[in-house]
Amino acid sequence: MLALQLTITGLQTGALYALTAVGFSLIFGSTRIFHFAHGATFIIAAYLFYFVNVSGYGMILGAIAATAGAIIFGLLLNRFVYVPIQRDEGSFFTIFVASFGIGIVVQNVIGMVFGRGFVTVQTPLSFSVEIMEGLYVSPLAWISMLCAAISFSLLWYFLKYSQMGKALRALSDNPELVRVFGMNPRFISACAFTIGSILVVPAAIISGATSGLNPAMGHHVMLISLAATIVGGIGSVAGTLMAGLALGLAESLALLYVDSQWTEAVTFAILFLFIIVRPSGLLGRSAAH
Amino acid sequence: MEAYLLNLGILISIYSILGVTLNFIMGYAGIYSLAHAVFFGVGAYAGTFMAMHYNASIFVTLPVAMAAGAFLSLILALPALRVRGEYFVAASLGLQVLAVTIFSEWKSVTGGIGGLIGIPPLDVAGFEVFKPSQFIFVTVGALIIILFIINRLVHSSFGRSLRAIRDSESAAAAFGKNVPLIKTISVVISSALTAVAGVLYASYLSFINVESFKLDTSVLIMAMVIIGGTGTQSGPIVGAALLLLLPSLISYMDFLPQTEIGSIQQIIYGLGMALLMIYRPGGIVGRKKQSETGKE
Repeated sequence: MLALQLTITGLQTGALYALTAVGFSLIFGSTRIFHFAHGATFIIAAYLFYFVNVSGYGMILGAIAATAGAIIFGLLLNRFVYVPIQRDEGSFFTIFVASFGIGIVVQNVIGMVFGRGFVTVQTPLSFSVEIMEGLYVSPLAWISMLCAAISFSLLWYFLKYSQMGKALRALSDNPELVRVFGMNPRFISACAFTIGSILVVPAAIISGATSGLNPAMGHHVMLISLAATIVGGIGSVAGTLMAGLALGLAESLALLYVDSQWTEAVTFAILFLFIIVRPSGLLGRSAAH
Repeated sequence: MEAYLLNLGILISIYSILGVTLNFIMGYAGIYSLAHAVFFGVGAYAGTFMAMHYNASIFVTLPVAMAAGAFLSLILALPALRVRGEYFVAASLGLQVLAVTIFSEWKSVTGGIGGLIGIPPLDVAGFEVFKPSQFIFVTVGALIIILFIINRLVHSSFGRSLRAIRDSESAAAAFGKNVPLIKTISVVISSALTAVAGVLYASYLSFINVESFKLDTSVLIMAMVIIGGTGTQSGPIVGAALLLLLPSLISYMDFLPQTEIGSIQQIIYGLGMALLMIYRPGGIVGRKKQSETGKE
């Protein structure tokens, strides 16, 4: 029964991980921008939701504010940091450092405004219900999985059938060819940032109610996103999704054997194993460099 | 005032060692590590362990700490051999997170979250150094020796191989360079020298805990190197001095909330990193438009 309980918790965590990681993977896969501030997008969305909710404007307005905040942050960062850098040289390193710096700024500004401790979004949805003898599941678990399922179906449909979705996939294959076809890579990049940032929002909101928020959690979010992207295979959205779910499950099931402070170690061990044994990931196209 | 300046000088020279050693792998080998504080910590804990249980002589603590750092760095070198760039950032971030857990859980050696107190002073050939006015000679001396070692390495054929690898791994391999071996050696050297800073830090403060070796420290060291100038000789030192002077500068500005000095410092260097990357990727010391920082 404990294993079943942990599997469901793991699926809940995994669904949130997958949402966050796919956002990063989509941006990185299509634009090759190492968007380390993705973790910052996460905390911005989470704290906006928390703030609007605590101020008494309700969850729907909170979700709208969080989405708007995430999109605006992603687009501004792309426009005023990544585009100018790419104009000059745009090496991996330069973009990573700039993105990283912005992440530090966001973390500390949020820490100054909301305090550095943990805050939680209070909602009756996080109370667990006994659905079987000894098996407690909160409605949030189902909501997470449902959110992930809906988001991924929409994303799949979008990437597969819409014009912009095709352009995104084309951009990840060959940016030069996209330009030759008369499409504007910069506009497509902005689109990738919008979608990638939106995908973070449900995960950010739900995390606020389940595990609580803290300004420094951006690094954890980033570790998970990076791990899932690499384990799934860079450039593969489906691979990242699977890897995100698997990492959530693995962290949760590991509790059968180790104490909870070691869960991040499990993520790290999986990541490490993949880097050494299979750098191209589950569904990746080519190996590293 | 004098004590304050001495303290600042000692910390700047210790952090300069950290910056210089990180710059060695980041600026010359193109290995971007977010786990530098791990080796700082390993050096501090290993040195402290020897000093508290066996012998406080630097001829015991330094070699043991360096060996521990070098040995552990092989774990970091393992993925570095196969991949670069984004993969390595992820691996080192993971290692940093894992190390913090180990530092706080392995209570018999690290003292857990509470840390270790009463670390014996540095014993240099039977002479106990604990006064800051003496200690600063030790740290500055160590910095000079490490600068000298790295300077020699960078200007040797080994250093040229490193830069060749950074600029184009396949070209270096085509020239018959043993790329994995050269990368491993550079990581091992860097980590062993980083451990020296750990020993000095622990015996200077006579107290350490996991707080000093968290991701924030790795980030701070990386910021020092980047703001000063990646791949330059003096950049990391300029960066270390600048970022450590920042908190005292902020405390002179009365209009800023004094309880938030740590946050304001981080905001300033975070912004500094982003702006430098946009306008001057080579850092303060580096050239304006640098064409040789790890372009892939």
